[in-house]
Amino acid sequence: MVNTSLAVEFKNVDKWFDDFHVLKNIDLKVLTGEKIVICGPSGSGKSTLVRCINSLEQHNSGNIIVHGKEVNKNQTKGTEVSSEVGMVFQQFNLFPHLTVKENLILGPMKARGLTKKEADDRAMRLLERVKIPEQVNKYPNQLSGGQQQRVAIARSLCMEPKIMLFDEPTSALDPEMIAEVLDVIIDLAQEGITMVVVTHEMGFAKKAADRMIFMDEGRIVETGTPDDFFNNPQTERCKLFLKQILQH
Amino acid sequence: MKTKTFIAITLLLIASGCSSPPGTWGWYVIDPSTQNGWNNIKFLLSGFSATIRLSILAAFLSIIIGLVVALPGMSLNRWVRLPSRVYIEFVRAIPLLPMLFWVFYGLPVILKSLGLDIPIDPFWGAAITLAISDSAFTAEIYRGGIQSIEKGQTEAAKTVGLNYMQTMRYVILPQALRRILPPLANQFIYIVKMSAFASVIGMQELTRRANEVVVSEYRPLEIYSLLILEYLVLVLIISSAVRWLERKMGADQRS
Repeated sequence: MVNTSLAVEFKNVDKWFDDFHVLKNIDLKVLTGEKIVICGPSGSGKSTLVRCINSLEQHNSGNIIVHGKEVNKNQTKGTEVSSEVGMVFQQFNLFPHLTVKENLILGPMKARGLTKKEADDRAMRLLERVKIPEQVNKYPNQLSGGQQQRVAIARSLCMEPKIMLFDEPTSALDPEMIAEVLDVIIDLAQEGITMVVVTHEMGFAKKAADRMIFMDEGRIVETGTPDDFFNNPQTERCKLFLKQILQH
Repeated sequence: MKTKTFIAITLLLIASGCSSPPGTWGWYVIDPSTQNGWNNIKFLLSGFSATIRLSILAAFLSIIIGLVVALPGMSLNRWVRLPSRVYIEFVRAIPLLPMLFWVFYGLPVILKSLGLDIPIDPFWGAAITLAISDSAFTAEIYRGGIQSIEKGQTEAAKTVGLNYMQTMRYVILPQALRRILPPLANQFIYIVKMSAFASVIGMQELTRRANEVVVSEYRPLEIYSLLILEYLVLVLIISSAVRWLERKMGADQRS
């Protein structure tokens, strides 16, 4: 029964974009309830790694196992994204033609078969959790970036996922809105949900991460607790990266 | 001034609606003050109903066929994509008039050999031809509209558990339709104009009626002038509706 404590497992995973070898022999185990922060220079494969977990990208070889179920590889289309996995995108990707509430209840009603009433109740509960219940009837373009990202987080949570993926959730935000989004994510981290977060917000990583992963050129170069990672990085590449992003 | 006098006289002739020898205007054929002229006008204008009904039916069919062709045309699988590409290239290459002849005279033969005794009257023959001919363009408009929706929308829909059909219906198409309504409405103008070809298979629409009056009255200039005016009015009404639509779309463009 080892697998029950494993949320996500990567075994020798490789992926190419045509000639570009974007993920190289990735081995990774994420425990249930663990908070993992992935960082690294752009183009290092961190977003791709996260997107492989919910089939937004397909790996070419190796195995990815999410809560005991193997994720299909090499399929071009038609793979069902595991509904146990929620995702928050850099660009929010809210549905612009729907109100905040409609954004939240679409998945639960159409994919999960909840009644309107059940979905509405769930949506309101989650909007309160991300602290914007008053925006329920607005359209996404009437909200600030920070509010939009919080709606996006609530939309993912509406599906009651066991794992939450965050792909640079604050990179598209104005600086003064980053904190409100990170606060919501930190709140969430304290509730036992498994999280994999790609971010360069090192303050957030120190506060919320159980484990840090540093990627470069498609490989996991270094992994460790935030304490070890920030105070005692092992590789030169990682030292250089930390020096560059922490010097300001 | 000779030219000025000429124009003045011409205008006078037109305005007075007087009879005149061949080679000049002879508005008497559609002079509402005479019984014959009034009958001719009523006969010509009665073609509006058929032209409008034909155009609306053809446009409606074209919008449905276009979507059915466009969706597989965007598949990542080339074997799924192939039939739709072939359809679009093939249909776009056929001139409307030969296709109309083929559908009206040829298709019933095929249907009969298959044991289906379905007669194709001029109205349905024209509607099917216009719809198929236009659907290739409609399909391309859909493709443009759907592909203009950011990839993130599909990804977000996937992560909240929607399947392909649900993603199309609730997320992509509502947004794409906003963007393609103006070009789709423009296609409607094309259909209205092309519906004139239905006259050659005997459908009693605007052009056919005009031809029939020309044959009995032998005043092509006046009657075809009126015919052009009839289409002009129809198209101007549609295009002002399109402009209104574009303004409305632009006003509440959410993104």
